[in-house]
Order: sequence, then C-alpha cells, then structure tokens
Amino acid sequence: MIDRLLFILSETLTSLKRHGMLQIAAVSTACVALILLGSVGMVLYKLDAIAQSLPRQFETEVFLKPNVPRERTLALQQQIEAMPEVAHVQLVPKEQAWEEEKRRYADEINLADLPNPLPDKLIVRTHHPEQLPKVAARLRKHADVDEVLDQRGTLERVLAVARLVRWVGLSLVSMLLLSALVLIYNAVRLTIVARQLEVRIMALVGATLRTIRMPFILEGVVQGGLGGVLAAVLVLLGAGLLSDYMLRLWPFLNDLPPGAPATLVLFGLPTIGMLLGGLCAWWAARRFVRIG
Amino acid sequence: MVELQGVSVVYGETYVLCRVSLRVEPGEFVFLVGTTGAGKSTLLKLLYGAVRPTEGRVFVDGQEVNRLRESEIPFLRRRMGIVPQDYPLLPRKTVWENIAYGLRAIGYSQSAVRRRVAQVLAQVGMSAQANAYPYQLSGGEAQRVAIARALANNPPLLLADEPTANLDPDTSWEIVQLLQQINLRGTTVIVATHNRAIVDRANKRVIALDRGQIISDVPRGGYPAELDKLYPPVALVSERRSGEIAK
Repeated sequence: MIDRLLFILSETLTSLKRHGMLQIAAVSTACVALILLGSVGMVLYKLDAIAQSLPRQFETEVFLKPNVPRERTLALQQQIEAMPEVAHVQLVPKEQAWEEEKRRYADEINLADLPNPLPDKLIVRTHHPEQLPKVAARLRKHADVDEVLDQRGTLERVLAVARLVRWVGLSLVSMLLLSALVLIYNAVRLTIVARQLEVRIMALVGATLRTIRMPFILEGVVQGGLGGVLAAVLVLLGAGLLSDYMLRLWPFLNDLPPGAPATLVLFGLPTIGMLLGGLCAWWAARRFVRIG
Repeated sequence: MVELQGVSVVYGETYVLCRVSLRVEPGEFVFLVGTTGAGKSTLLKLLYGAVRPTEGRVFVDGQEVNRLRESEIPFLRRRMGIVPQDYPLLPRKTVWENIAYGLRAIGYSQSAVRRRVAQVLAQVGMSAQANAYPYQLSGGEAQRVAIARALANNPPLLLADEPTANLDPDTSWEIVQLLQQINLRGTTVIVATHNRAIVDRANKRVIALDRGQIISDVPRGGYPAELDKLYPPVALVSERRSGEIAK
C-alpha cells in the first residue's frame, strides 16, 4: 500500500517536473479563472455588505398626536415592542426633540419663547427591513398615531438592488465556475495525452485504473491549488491598490462596510482551486484514461 | 491455459476474426502466423482483454475474459506478460528504471523491485546495459528490455506481438531463442509473427490465420504451405517468373 502510494506520488512529481510548459499552462489557466472568480466574489461581497447594511439605516418614525399624554405614549411603546417583527423601539420625548430643534436653529431664529409644537416620537426598527412596511401599516391605524414615516419607496428600491446584485452575481459566478472547469479539464486532458506512453505501459503490466488515474487527479489538485494561491495574492494586491485609488477619488467610500477579509481570500481561492482541479482531473481521467 | 470457443470480432461490417476456436496447453510455444490484417494482433488482444469478442468465449487460465469487468482486467494482465508490437519504452528512464516502473505500478516493494529487476535483466542478457537509456540501445536490445519488463512479474503466459519486426535475421533469431529459453522454464509463449525464417527454423506449433479464420494448425513445422499458396513469397514469385521467361 505504502509502495503504491509512493509510486503514485513519484509519478505525480515526475509529471509536474517534466511537463513544465503544460504545468504553466494549467496553473495559469486555473489562476486566470480564479482571479475572475475571486474578483467577482470580492465585488459581490462588498456590494452584498452594502446592500445588507443600507436597509438597517431605515427605520420608521411614528409621530403621535400632540395631545396624547405621556403614559399613553409609553403604553403604545410597550405595545409596539411586543410585536414579533420589532427589534427596538426608542422614545424621543417632545421636550428632548424641541431642545434639539432649538439648538439646531439657534443661529437663525430664537425659538426659546415659543410653545413646544412637537409631538412625542417613537423610532421603530424591525428585525428585517422587509418587515418595516407591514409594521408601519399597522401603526397608521392606531388612534393615537398622527403620522408614520416609513420611507417605503427608498427601502424597496434598495432591497430590489440588493436582490439584483445577488442574482446577477450568482449567475456570473456560476458561468465563471463552469468556464474554469472546462479550462482546467482541457489542461488535464493535454497532460494525459502527453503521458499516453506511461498510461499504456501501466495498463499493459496490470496496474489498476485507480493507480493509473490517481497521479492525474493529484496533478489537477496541485495545479488548481497553485493557481488558487497565485490568484489569491493577485486579487488581494489588486483589491488593495484599487481600494486606495477609489478612496482618494471618493473619500465617502470609507464609510462603507469593509470587503471580504484577506484570510477568506487566501484560504478560499486555493481551496476552490484544489477542489476544481481535482474534480476536473478526475473527470478527464475517467474519460481519457482507459486500459483497453 | 488458453481457449477460444467460436470467437468472432466484428468492426462494423468487417469480420476481423470469424468463429475462431483454438486451445493452447500450459507450457506450449505457439506461433500465430498470417499476413498483415489476418487477425493475429486482434487474437492476442482478446487474450488480455483489450478487445471484446462480438460472439464466442475466451478463456485464459480458466477465467472467462469476456465476462470480466474493466476493473478486473488489470488482475488478469498480472498473470501474463505482454510484449506489444512497438515494444514501448519510456525514453527518459534507464533500462533498469523501465523494468522497475512496471513492477512499482503493480505495488512491488522497493526491495522486491531491486531483486526482480536484476533477475530478469540477467535472464534476457541485458545486465550490462542496466543504466543505458532506450536511445542508446539497438532494436534487438530494446526488444529484450520489453521482454524483460513483460517477464518481471514472473507470469505463466507470455504474449509477443511481432517481436522481430524491424530486426535483422540474426537479431530476430536471438529474440526467438530468448523466447524459447523462457518457454523451457515453463512459461507458455504465444508469438504473433509474419517472419517466415524464424517460424521455419524454430519448428514449433504453428497456427495460420487468413482473413480472420484459422486455415491450418500444425503441432510442429515451418511456415504453412496453405499461406504460401495464397500469398507466394516474393523470392518464389521471382523464381517462377524467371522459369516462365526461360521457357
């Protein structure tokens, strides 16, 4: 068993060393495919993070009628908190709101002598942004509620963009994965063609199909893994440079949530590369390595 | 050892072998003769499972080859040595490594490989060239290496397809002598050839094939007269023509 394993490993190593140009072709193919995959993945990760974070900034502002006493406001706050969709309810008392307004317009107008025209306000956040319109609709029907500002239109647009980004991204990544599979498959097929003599001799002496095919599969794993490591380094370098350049152009981007963590890229792309390489090599070996 | 029962191999509309039946006993030395396209190589390929019969049954060592799954074929081949027509050798490996390669592929340990390679190299008289590369060998030497690799697993059956093709008469006879020595040690040897000289000189069992059918099977003898009638040798044709001209 160990002898056979050593044979398989030595065959893999010999092939990796001897068919240099083929290895370069296969590794660079895997690398290009994984760079595309990694770049799209990074962009999607960032867009998804933005799409996820934006709706959290939306919340419903519930203005009560001016004459509603404080105890009824507090009772309504409790009622809203009891709703299963609601994550948090914050009371902004009319006194506090009026003080803030006075401070904000202190330079322009003196509001100190005027009576407080503002009502109590409740700021409502739901667990998921999609639940917000439903909660707002229910609150509008309440007798003590004067107005509900739910910014439904904006929220729906953001949610639609987030959905579009996910679907387009998913389709794009699927297509890239498919093309990466075909490219690596062809590279492994070329390796098999280049090693027809070894395959034939192994088949003639009675080596099992597993023994004959395994070096090709390991070769595919190594090619995919190397391509993945190269791709991860290049994607991270590229993302770093692009990010710096864009931040210089548009400083507001700094406020956006961070992109994919470097460790995810460094481990993810080589792992995907190894899996893809192994899968393609297995597929090609099954198809082209016969013992007849 | 080897038995074919009413075996046919058909490619499209063409019968490569047509209802062939034969039996080879353990320890025999058999020449399969016939012109190019007679079906000799196909018959050998049937024995090691590289070709499946369209009809009939093929037995090797009591095992029905045509019923074996692809995954079982390697274990059949470990019980036979195969010397293909082009005696393939790995160009970047030495003679020693070429023979060791086959043994390592079927799971021999390093020590067993060292022992066995030395034995078979001595058996085929190639110990001195152990470190030579294939491009440094003559045709006869390369053929000996291919035979050594086929013998390395100590198989009870050796199949050689045109082992003297492209060799001069003396070297061809050396190869036949080597195969005879192997046969004397108890290995059944089946040689496909169209080399008239070696068949005449060896005086072994000769099975003649023509267009996929056995036309003669003699226990001892030279190149079959039946084939000579069908395909007269070039020398004989020239002789007849000279005679006709003289008349």
